[in-house]
Amino acid sequence: MSFIPGQPVSAVVQRIEIHKLYEGDNLILGFSIGGGIDQDPTQNPFSEDKTDKGIYVTRVSKGGPAEVAGLRLGDKIMQVNGWDMTMVTHDQARKKLTKKNEDVVRLLVTRKSLEETVRQSMMQH
Amino acid sequence: MMPIERLADMEEKLRILEDLNMIYIRQIALSLKDSDIQKKIDYEIRMREGACKLLAACSQRDQALEASKSLLTCNARIMAYMSELQRMKEAQVMQRVARRSSDAGPMDDRSPCKGKVAISDLRIPLMWKDTDYFKNKGELHRCAVFCLLQLGGEIFDTDMVMVDRTLTDICFDNTIVFNEAGPGFELRVELYSCCSEEDYSAGSTPRKLASKLSSSLGRSAGKKMRAALEPGACSATSNGGGATILLPVPSVQGPKYHLLAHTTLSLSHVQDSFRTHDLTITGNEECSYWLPLYGGVCCRLAAQPHCMTQQMMSGCLRVKLGGEPQGWTNVYGVLKGTNLFCYHQKEDMEAKVEPVLTIGINKETRIRAAEKDPHSKAQNICITNQYGGEEVTHTLAADSREDTQRWMEAFWQQFFDMSQWRQCCDDLMKIELPSPRKPAIVTPKQGSLYHEMVIDKSDDIGTVTDILARRIEEFELRAQLGSPPHWMALFDEDPPHTPQHLPPHSPSPRLHSRQPRSPRCQRTPGLLSSNASLTSDSDSPASVSPCFRQAWSPVASSSSGRFRPRTLSLDAKLSTLRGRGYNGFRCNCQPPTASSVSPRPTQTALSCSSSTSSSSSSEGSNSQESDLGFSRPSGARRSLRILRAKLDPRNWLQSQV
Repeated sequence: MSFIPGQPVSAVVQRIEIHKLYEGDNLILGFSIGGGIDQDPTQNPFSEDKTDKGIYVTRVSKGGPAEVAGLRLGDKIMQVNGWDMTMVTHDQARKKLTKKNEDVVRLLVTRKSLEETVRQSMMQH
Repeated sequence: MMPIERLADMEEKLRILEDLNMIYIRQIALSLKDSDIQKKIDYEIRMREGACKLLAACSQRDQALEASKSLLTCNARIMAYMSELQRMKEAQVMQRVARRSSDAGPMDDRSPCKGKVAISDLRIPLMWKDTDYFKNKGELHRCAVFCLLQLGGEIFDTDMVMVDRTLTDICFDNTIVFNEAGPGFELRVELYSCCSEEDYSAGSTPRKLASKLSSSLGRSAGKKMRAALEPGACSATSNGGGATILLPVPSVQGPKYHLLAHTTLSLSHVQDSFRTHDLTITGNEECSYWLPLYGGVCCRLAAQPHCMTQQMMSGCLRVKLGGEPQGWTNVYGVLKGTNLFCYHQKEDMEAKVEPVLTIGINKETRIRAAEKDPHSKAQNICITNQYGGEEVTHTLAADSREDTQRWMEAFWQQFFDMSQWRQCCDDLMKIELPSPRKPAIVTPKQGSLYHEMVIDKSDDIGTVTDILARRIEEFELRAQLGSPPHWMALFDEDPPHTPQHLPPHSPSPRLHSRQPRSPRCQRTPGLLSSNASLTSDSDSPASVSPCFRQAWSPVASSSSGRFRPRTLSLDAKLSTLRGRGYNGFRCNCQPPTASSVSPRPTQTALSCSSSTSSSSSSEGSNSQESDLGFSRPSGARRSLRILRAKLDPRNWLQSQV
């Protein structure tokens, strides 16, 4: 999932639709993110490529809306409601996920296993 | 409509208003055929947009304060340019009216020459209660202050200074030079301050609330509401309310400066030395931005009128030297300052050769045109001075009548300028040009060991170890069960005994549980290598800091590390470790300046420093993880922790959404 400057990035993605849950006054999604272009990518335990400054899922609350929707630990978030997440700061990413007037977020996520699944299914045919 | 939507709507309207006003301004500028001001306004608007963006984007308090200051300055400049534009338009209209009505008198008013006005060494004394100053207890109420100086159309700001009760005076080192000032100038000095409290405890409620609302990041709705509700939120300066409608200020989040004091200086305040002037203080003790000002400002206000620094007139003259009626000498005369210098030739002046004759031209001088000399075509000019009780008269003649006229005109102008600039023309006042400013060094506050330690260059490694040894004592007291950070293995040359497996989802990790097991660790003497940029590598694979207990199996290496005195520097070992790729949470120890590793039988300081810094980092990342389920920690603490975590660049920030 590394990017070559100047080249388009392509990945196999899965659509995940998370419905926010009311927890007191706040709307929450039930996961945590890490990463961002202003963060140190070498500390990301989930990324394959240690120069990848993308946004990754670092924690998924058990039984929370994210887990229910199919988000998994270690997923890399590519888009949130159409907004790109591959070249954003950490805070920008957080903001796009926590908009108060939206109660559904549609993510495009990618993970290693997706690629393998696709490759395998292609090989079978 | 939700309040947020209403605000967005209002912003839309403001933007439309802004666009319309820009068109209006451009039309005025066009009609005046003055593109200079237009360009300046455009430039300042661009600067303002940049400052707004920076303010929205920056996360550190110091940066935000600087950006807010730039924003205020840009706004002030825009106001000034716009009012100048209005004035020019009015003047033009008035002129047209005057010309049409034929009662315009002859326009032969003499206008004085312009000059440079410089203000420097601003010092504003403060008046803290002596108990505050000497006891220095309690939270430090800090304010960020700066001065805005306005003369005519020029506006400058000084650097920002942080003020707290350890300061007795606010000092601004800048020298500000205004280039085109008339003798009737009015130099307005405004002191702006902004509360910069980082402590959210104690203090009066309104102040606390105000600082919370103004300095919390990311609370866009609350901030917008507050900016909209705050009276005068749209006017950055006190330049009358009318001007604000013309170009409304976009409301931005971030720290806001308020006018604390002001004063106006003019020609009568100009002196070649320091003087104290009174300040008018706006605001009172209840305001968050309040500072106890003594009531005066001390500064050096100097002026250099052009008549003193520039050549007002130069040309060829003939001087009668000696008593003979025929003794005319050709000279090149230069009128500058309080003297008429006569050189043999023009080249002499350029070569800075001493003049042949220097005639003083000052308030006491009398100049008149003499009767026509039958031998020459033009009138003579007689300059009479009093030199120590004696009257001395010099007679000069120009080559032609026009020249004589021009010289007389120059003399009259000089006299006029001197009468207008008064004390500035007695002697030339020195003005030091400001040296190129160094960018302010902004040091963000970080919660790590190395920022809490103050080590002088003259201190030796002993001081470092003392501090660290003290730390380790505190640290040991809190040690509980838990595996030591895996980098402990760096100091162990034996292969790890049993890799420790932490339970994958341990309940509610608290700060203490991250620390190494003291009972098992034999702390034999060893010393933390201050060079240690400890990376989370060890002999075991995929080692991970205990801070990060997620699905990856945390394999913390040997807990029962034995520490042996190291005779070699750790650099070699560390460089080999660094060479291997590592995977995991880097432990946050920055290499400080001290360099040697001396084996000393002191307690090992290794664990404490790393744990302190990892505790700060874990605090950062912990804050978001420390809850189970969906509960969130209280807002204020959370934002403070997030702020601290953000300021520490060695963290890999995680946010809960």
